[in-house]
Amino acid sequence: MDSMETAATAPQPTEPTPPSTSTVPSSSSTIASATEPVPSPSPNPNPNPNPNPNQNQNTQPSTSFQQPQQAQQPQPQPQQQPNHQHSQTRAPGIPLNRLRPQPPYPNFAHLSSLTSSTTSAPLPPSISSPASPSISTPPIQRGGIAIGVPAHARPPQQHTFFNPPFTGLPRGSVNVSDPSPSTNTTNATTVRPQMHGVQGMGMVGSHGPGSQLRPGGVSGHPQQRPVQPSIRSQSPSSSQSLSSQLQGHSLLRVSSMGSPGSPSPGTPQSSQNPSQPWISAGQQGKQTQPSLSSSSYRPQMKPPQSLQQRSHIPQQQLHSLPMPSHQQQLPSAQQQQQPSPSQQSQEHYVQQYPPPRVPQSLPHQHQVTRGQGLGNQKSTSLTTVQPTNVQSGTQNATASADAGECGNQILSKRSIHELVSQIDPSERLDPEVEDILVEIADEFVDSITTFACSLAKHRKSTTLEAKDVLLHLERNWNITLPGFGGDEIKSYKKPYTADIHKERLAAIKKSIVGVEAVNTKSSAGQAAGNLKGHAAKAPVIGSPKTSEVP
Amino acid sequence: MHNSSTGSTSKPKGSLSVSSDVSFKRKRGVFQKDLQHMMYGFGDDPNPLPETVALLEDIVVEYVTDLVHKAQDIATKRGKLLTEDFLFLIRKDLPKLHRCTELLSMNEELKQARKAFEVDEEKLAAD
Repeated sequence: MDSMETAATAPQPTEPTPPSTSTVPSSSSTIASATEPVPSPSPNPNPNPNPNPNQNQNTQPSTSFQQPQQAQQPQPQPQQQPNHQHSQTRAPGIPLNRLRPQPPYPNFAHLSSLTSSTTSAPLPPSISSPASPSISTPPIQRGGIAIGVPAHARPPQQHTFFNPPFTGLPRGSVNVSDPSPSTNTTNATTVRPQMHGVQGMGMVGSHGPGSQLRPGGVSGHPQQRPVQPSIRSQSPSSSQSLSSQLQGHSLLRVSSMGSPGSPSPGTPQSSQNPSQPWISAGQQGKQTQPSLSSSSYRPQMKPPQSLQQRSHIPQQQLHSLPMPSHQQQLPSAQQQQQPSPSQQSQEHYVQQYPPPRVPQSLPHQHQVTRGQGLGNQKSTSLTTVQPTNVQSGTQNATASADAGECGNQILSKRSIHELVSQIDPSERLDPEVEDILVEIADEFVDSITTFACSLAKHRKSTTLEAKDVLLHLERNWNITLPGFGGDEIKSYKKPYTADIHKERLAAIKKSIVGVEAVNTKSSAGQAAGNLKGHAAKAPVIGSPKTSEVP
Repeated sequence: MHNSSTGSTSKPKGSLSVSSDVSFKRKRGVFQKDLQHMMYGFGDDPNPLPETVALLEDIVVEYVTDLVHKAQDIATKRGKLLTEDFLFLIRKDLPKLHRCTELLSMNEELKQARKAFEVDEEKLAAD
């Protein structure tokens, strides 16, 4: 953990300041909460490039996730910008699924927990241990975020703000048992699922005993899942803080982070207003709308109260919804996306995490929103649209937030039940399984959107289009979606063979022909001898051929 | 989502126009009529929705394209593209494989029947 802490601290040099001041965009909201709770001054926003998300995460990890989150939201907003930059640096290629709301790093801690996804079972217990710094519950939520984020992804950046809180944040796959062993254990379990993708994202503090297991689990997930959950910057005290890191991810599971007690997260449902007070302060930067910025992190921060127990996760999601909608994410398009199909424009919003994404199952919309959230990190150009969208988004978000409980989630428990009933009407799922499925869905959407945004950026376009998502799915996930391909005809690319390879193949053929000729001649002379020779030659001939021809 | 595909934009598809084929956006509705009948045969309405038919057509075209690409990959090692390459690709799908071999054998029989028929005609003519 020490190493992690240092790592975290290093990247976050700037963090100490933000917590209160930076209204960091939505992501910050989560951070805000995190920052406050985080005893260590590391102001969530830590310089870590993770714009807001980092901040939020940081705050989350801190004990008082929930509360600080809300307060931080205003801060996170302004901080978001710095985070935003950070996110962009993330490297478009990195599936920052989780990064959006906050740089995925905060999730690292979370991710570490995910890695040990195997221990997912223990999660519930962790939640129940809310007594420990609110972090215990967050781990569960975090899980969603961390997944998919490559371990190597910006860990340095995001950790910055988490580190202080979490002392033991396992940056890389090191889940280092956090200082709060008791809490960690519980958290670890919960966090685990989140940490999948993130190898070592450092399950912040929450890892505790569980974290140790996680690293293994995390590394096991080669997928891009953004480490987001880990980034949540779980306060060392609680693995839950990890969950807080999940920032934007709809996972908001952060609720476990609730420990910070960010009251705002709880209120998110009440719609942006609660967050606004402090958000507006922070916003300056990206998200002009306080509610929005904070919302982005809200998900993460989920009111600590609810987070504390895994069961809260569903609640959190609800919370997250209202909040994120308000938060910046909404401003950008995220909210819009949901309400409006103008997904493409939303990419700009990248804001960390299109919060309320509302379970709109529209794949495009979600993707778009996600992309937007991710876009923060990736594309600078995308941010331009945000301000205008934010406003509209906020409104939408508010509406959506109020309407649906889990606006930030992609899936809701009900939809999972419906899906399961489609497969087998008599099938029943454990609540933990449902939770993890929800997380997985969120992370999946996040990772897809992130990568699609990076592809769009590579295309030198500010609009996320269907072909970006299709390309990513086809190439990396081997998922083909008929009906969205458009009019393009897939062209065939001849496999490239080096010239020297062709020469070698020709030489082999010549030698084979020569050998066969010799064999035939010799066989004519001696029948028995020939047979043996042929047998010997056949394998010989075959081997060079096989060796030559890959 | 389907918007892009629905609009049959005549713009040349993608950047790959460089290829000699100049395969512009692919034509829509190539299998429309046949697919409608087939869908009816499989249980759908006698007049299925156009969107459904378009979706199915997308699926079919994508499948065939993918299969041909893979066959070409295999054939480059050997040289020419042969029917054996396709049979090799569907070797795991027994119903398809059997149906393919059956159709190929029927094709051979028909060829021979036509040949014999022509020969008979010639004989008759000679007589």
